[in-house]
Amino acid sequence: MIENSFNRRDFLKVLGWGGAAVTLSGCGNTSVEDGRELVTSYSEPAEYVIPSIGVYFNSTCAQCDAGCNIMGKVREGRVLKLEGNSQSAINRGKMCGLGQAGVQAHYNPDRLREPLLRTGDKGEAISWDTALELINAKLDGVQGNQIAFLTGGISGHVNVLLKNYIDALGSAKHFAYEAVAPSVVRAANKKAYGVEMPRLRLDKAKVIVSFGADFLGAWVSPVHFAQQYAQFRKASNGGRGVLVQIESKMTLTGANADRWLAIRPGTEGILALGLINALGAGGVKVAADAAGAAKAYTPERVSTETGISVEQITKLAALLKERTPSLVIAGSAAEGYAHGSHNAAAIALLNQALGNVGKTVEFPAALPFPQIAPTVGNRYALHALNDDMAHDQVKVLFNFGANPVFTAPAGLKFKENLGKVPFKVAFAHYMDETALQADLVLPLDSALEEWGTSVPEYAAEGAQLNVHQPLMEKLYPGTRATGDILLALLKLRRAQEYKGYEDFYAYLRSALVQNKAALGGSGKDDDTFWSATLSNGLVKLPGASNAARKTSATTLVFPAPAAQDGAYPLRLIPAVTANMRDGRHANQPWLQESPDPLTTIVWDSWVEIHPKTAARLGIVEGDIVEVASKSGTLKAQAYLFPGIHPDAISIPLGYGHQAMGRYAKDIGANAFHIMDAVFDSETGELAMHETRVKISPTGQRVVIVKDEGSAGGKQMGKKIAVRVSSEKVDLSEEV
Amino acid sequence: MSVTNLLENWSQFRHKHPVEDKPHAEYKWAMSIDLDACTGCNACSVACYAENNLPVVGKEKYSHGFSHHWMRIERYWDEDGREFPDQGAQFLPMMCQHCEAAPCETVCPVGATNHTGDGLNSQVYNRCIGSRYCEANCPYKVRYFNWYDYPTTNNVWPEPMNQQLNPDVTVRGKGVMEKCTFCVQRLTVAKSDARSQGRTVRDGEVQTACQQACPTGAITFGNLVDPEARVGKQWMQQQVELAVDHQAKDQHEHAEQASKLRGYRIFEELRPYPSVMYLERVRESAV
Repeated sequence: MIENSFNRRDFLKVLGWGGAAVTLSGCGNTSVEDGRELVTSYSEPAEYVIPSIGVYFNSTCAQCDAGCNIMGKVREGRVLKLEGNSQSAINRGKMCGLGQAGVQAHYNPDRLREPLLRTGDKGEAISWDTALELINAKLDGVQGNQIAFLTGGISGHVNVLLKNYIDALGSAKHFAYEAVAPSVVRAANKKAYGVEMPRLRLDKAKVIVSFGADFLGAWVSPVHFAQQYAQFRKASNGGRGVLVQIESKMTLTGANADRWLAIRPGTEGILALGLINALGAGGVKVAADAAGAAKAYTPERVSTETGISVEQITKLAALLKERTPSLVIAGSAAEGYAHGSHNAAAIALLNQALGNVGKTVEFPAALPFPQIAPTVGNRYALHALNDDMAHDQVKVLFNFGANPVFTAPAGLKFKENLGKVPFKVAFAHYMDETALQADLVLPLDSALEEWGTSVPEYAAEGAQLNVHQPLMEKLYPGTRATGDILLALLKLRRAQEYKGYEDFYAYLRSALVQNKAALGGSGKDDDTFWSATLSNGLVKLPGASNAARKTSATTLVFPAPAAQDGAYPLRLIPAVTANMRDGRHANQPWLQESPDPLTTIVWDSWVEIHPKTAARLGIVEGDIVEVASKSGTLKAQAYLFPGIHPDAISIPLGYGHQAMGRYAKDIGANAFHIMDAVFDSETGELAMHETRVKISPTGQRVVIVKDEGSAGGKQMGKKIAVRVSSEKVDLSEEV
Repeated sequence: MSVTNLLENWSQFRHKHPVEDKPHAEYKWAMSIDLDACTGCNACSVACYAENNLPVVGKEKYSHGFSHHWMRIERYWDEDGREFPDQGAQFLPMMCQHCEAAPCETVCPVGATNHTGDGLNSQVYNRCIGSRYCEANCPYKVRYFNWYDYPTTNNVWPEPMNQQLNPDVTVRGKGVMEKCTFCVQRLTVAKSDARSQGRTVRDGEVQTACQQACPTGAITFGNLVDPEARVGKQWMQQQVELAVDHQAKDQHEHAEQASKLRGYRIFEELRPYPSVMYLERVRESAV
C-alpha cells in the first residue's frame, strides 16, 4: 500500500499530473513505483460520456415476455435505472414495477458466479472449458431423442441457435414451458380467429367484458394494455368506456372495473352463452348457429348455474347491444378448468355474435422470419417432459428459463422423475430449486449484461424485433450469456459452420447486418445500420396481413356446470400477481416489499377468503390456516377479502421458495405444490383452477404484515379517495 | 444559511405560501393525479424506490411501520355493506403533498423542513435531529423516519446492490426524517439547464420518477406559474386554487356547475394548502 511518506504531491505525479515522476522512480520507496501496484487513470470514456451525467442506452426488458423496450440510465459505467423507450409501440415510454425491478436481477447479491459441478451433495467450481467439454462428452453415445431441452418462452436469435443445436444433436425434444401462460386461450383463439394472439383494441371498445383476464396486472402485455385502457377511459372516441370484469377472485383489473361480478368458479362459458341468448332475445341479429347453440341458456338457467342475477345479465346484454363496438376477452380465470377450452370457445363466440371481430379484435401481421418467431411456452410441455422422464426416456436434460421443480404441481411428481435423468444441465441466474437438482449448473449473464434479440408474442402494432444489448460491463467474469453458451456448444458439434463467429455478439451482428435490406437498412453501410439498430433498440419488421376467420358454433362443446365435492368443498384459485407471477423474480426485494395492490400484504403468502365463508368456518384475519387438497397441504395466514366468491379461496403463486436467494427463501408457501394434476380436456394443458381444497384453522394467529392501517379499507368519513358517477361529468371536455 | 440567520428571520422563511403580496416568482411545482386513470398497479412506487435510494426494510421492520415508501398506493373499499365490492376498489397514490402551509414545517425545532421558493416542502437531512415532530403533525402520514442505519449496519444494499444507488440522491443515515421531494434532483438539473439557456423550464421537460413510469399517465407534474403547463390548465379547469381552502366544488350555491368538477385536494379543511390535486374516480352508472 501507499506509505505515509508518499504524500499527495508525489501521488499526483504518478497519475501523470506532476513533472517529476521520472526522478522519483529511482527511489523505489512505494509499491506503485516498484511496479508491484498499478495505478491507471479513472477511465477513458467515450466522447459523449461526461462524468456525473447519465447516458441512456436502449435495450429490452426481460422480466416478462411482453418485450417492453427500455432505456437504461448509465452513469460512470453503472446502470442505475430503467426507463421506458418512448419510441416503442408496446410500452411507449412507460414501465411497470416488475420491469423497474430488472436492475435488482442484475445487481442481485445471490447470483451464481461460476460453473458448478455436482460431486455428491456439494457443488465444485469448474472452468467453462471443462464444463463445455463435459457436456460434449456426456452427449456422446446418447441417442438424439434421449436429449431433451426444457426452456421458457424463447425467441429471436437465441432461439435460432437453440434450434440448430437441437438439430445438431439429432434431438427433436424441445419443451417450452411457462407455468402461467394463457395457453388454452391461445388454442381457442387459433380455432376461433385463426391466430393465437389476435390484437385486442381496448382503446376502440366502448364496453369491455373481461372474463378473468387481468390485463392491467399480469396478463400478456400489461403495460401496453394499461395505455390502451387509459385511452378507453378517456373517451376520445365518444363516450367513456365501461369495463365489466367477471371472475371468481378479484384481480387488479377487476378492482378497476365499473362492475365486478363474482361468478361461480368455472361457469364463465355458461354466462357467455347466456349473454348470446339474451342478446338474441333483445333483438340483436345473432348468426343462426350461435343462436342455436345458446338457445338452451335462458337467463334463469344461467343465473342458477353462475350465481349472477337475471337482472344483471339483462342489464349487461342491454349495455352490449346499445354500445358498440365492444370487446370480450377470455383470460386465465376462464381457461383454468378441465373444460377451459369450452369456456374460451364460448367467449370467442360471444365476440363473434357482437360483431367485434375485425373491429376490436384485429389480426396482426404474420412474422416474415419464422426462425426467429417466438416459441411460446405452455403447460402441456411440462406434462409431456414429465412423462418422458418417468419412462426413463431422457438421458440428458438441458434446462433454462424455467424452474419446474418449484412450479410443477405436486401431482406430477416432477422432482422424483427428474431424479431419473442421469445428467441434468441447468443454465441459471440463481441456485434455484431446479438448479439444486442439476448435475451441472452454468451461471448466466444478467439480462442487462448480454446480447440478444427477441420477438414479442403479442404484437402491439406490427411485428418487431427487439434488441437486447449490455447496459454495462459484466459484474462477474465467470458468467456467460445464453447465446454464447449455445454458440460454444454448437462449435463443438458443427465447428465448420460456426467458426467464423468469435462470440455471440459477432454472430448477432453478422446475422442482422447480412439481412439489413429486409430490416429497413437498405442503402446504409453496415456500421451505420448496426449503430442505428442499437440506438433504436428495436427493428420494425414488415409483414403480410393475416385474414380474419369466422367462428362457427357447430364444433362448440357446452361447458360443464360447476360440480361439488363434499370432502373438498372449496375451489383453490392460484392468483397470478403482477409482482410475483410464477415466482422467478421472487429474489428481487423491491417486489417483495411492494404491497400487493388488493390486500396490501408484503413479504408473505396469504389465503384470501370471503368474510362469509370465514365466519362459517370460524376464521378471523391472521389465523394460520391449513389448506389441504388431494395432492398436498400448506399453511398460510388468512386474509378476509370481500372480492372473492364464497365457494373459493385464493393463494398467490410465486412465494414459498426453498432456495434461490436471501429475499425469496422461506417467504410464504408454495401454492403450486398443492395443485392437483388435472388437464384441459382438449389441449392437455394443466388446468390451474381445478384444485379443490378444504381449509381449517390451526389455532395459531399472527398479525398480518401489510400496508393497510387499522381502519382497513375504510375512509372513516373523510373525503380521501372520491368517486363520481359517470353521468355527472364529461371527460371529453377536460384538459 | 446559518442557523442564527434562520432563527432570527424565521417568520420570513416560514411564510412561503402565496399571499397577495408574495406570489411565486418563477416556479411553483405542483401535481395532479387522475384517480380515474390510476389502476393501483404500484409502478410509481417501485420507480420511486429506484430513483430515490429507498431502503427495503424487510418483513419485521415493515410490521413495525418502518417502511419507506415515499409513494404508496392506498386501497379503499366501499362501506355500504354489500356482499361483494361490485364497483371495484378505490386506489389512491399518496405521497408528500408539498403543502403551502405545511403542518410539518411549523413544528420542526431546528428548521430542517421548510419551504423553498419553488413551493417545495424541503427536508434538510444534515440539519435534522430526528425529533419526529413533523411526522406526528403530518395529516397525510407521508414522512418516514430512519430508525436504523440502513446502508451500513443493516446492509440493505449488499454488494453489488449498492452499485444501483442513484448518485444524485443522498443515502440517508440513522436518525433523519425523509419523504417525497418531487424528485428535486431532477428539478435542479432541469432548472440549471434552463438557466444556462436563459429561460425557465418548459412544460414536459422534467418528469418525476413516478410520473415517468405510470403506464396510464395518471400523474401530471409541472410548474403552476407557467401558463402553458398542463398541470396548471387542469387546476384551472377544475377551479382548484392553491391559496384557497374552499374550492368552487365545495360551494353549495353553485351545486349544478360544481358537480361537473372532479378536482379536489385531500384534507382541505385542515388548511395545509396542498400542491397535489386529485381528480375523482368516475364509475359507470348504467351497469
